[in-house]
Amino acid sequence: MLLRAIGHILSCKDATRLLSQAQDRPLSSFRRWRLTLHLMTCDACTRFERQLEFLREALRRYRT
Amino acid sequence: MDAAQFAKETESHRGYLLRIAQLQLRDRDLAEDCVQETLLAALTGQSGFSGKSSLKTWLTGILKHKIVDAIRRKQREPVSAAAFDEEIDLDEFDPLFKRNGGWETPPAEWGDPEGALNRRQFFDIMEFCLEKLPPNTARVFMMREVMELESDEICKELAITANNLWVILYRARMALRQCLEQNWFEGGARAR
Repeated sequence: MLLRAIGHILSCKDATRLLSQAQDRPLSSFRRWRLTLHLMTCDACTRFERQLEFLREALRRYRT
Repeated sequence: MDAAQFAKETESHRGYLLRIAQLQLRDRDLAEDCVQETLLAALTGQSGFSGKSSLKTWLTGILKHKIVDAIRRKQREPVSAAAFDEEIDLDEFDPLFKRNGGWETPPAEWGDPEGALNRRQFFDIMEFCLEKLPPNTARVFMMREVMELESDEICKELAITANNLWVILYRARMALRQCLEQNWFEGGARAR
């Protein structure tokens, strides 16, 4: 429960923004820590993270 | 590869290069100019092609410079901050999320998305989705993901802040993700 509470200090909306930013710059360790905690308790955002990685791979294939 | 063969293979990538340039510049004439210059540069500089990367990758690399040059020349009509603001108002109502920041409609399960990468139709859908992005959003997203420019290069070329850049890229990824989900991954579209 505590873990869930800490994880959700970050909302899903904010988590998706950080996941996107992580593709363009290194996140600060604090942000990364909050994001990791959120992902531990959130299946939807974990799925979103995988889909973002897939998008990047699809664009890589598209251009090669 | 002899010169004639090289010319023929180079020409075969014209359609792809044109789509990339068009997506990015949203200006048919300018896109055609860029592609023409790219093909010309390739033919006159054939020796620069080492064969280490694919021909398509090499041509895309040349096109990247031509597009950046074109954007620079276009500074007469600069991408104004106002034009971007219209596309990136982050406080606008976001139908993807509830007021408390939770998902309104969580991402669907995509099954085995890697399989899609072997399907030509998947890339047609992806182009369709890229074309649906607002013009400035598409331009920035293509610079980042297809031309592989670094964030600070894009900010410099377009004179936008890093914050604006992240917001634009975020919007592009959200829209592209949703568009692919609706048009490819959902409702048995995979069976197409």
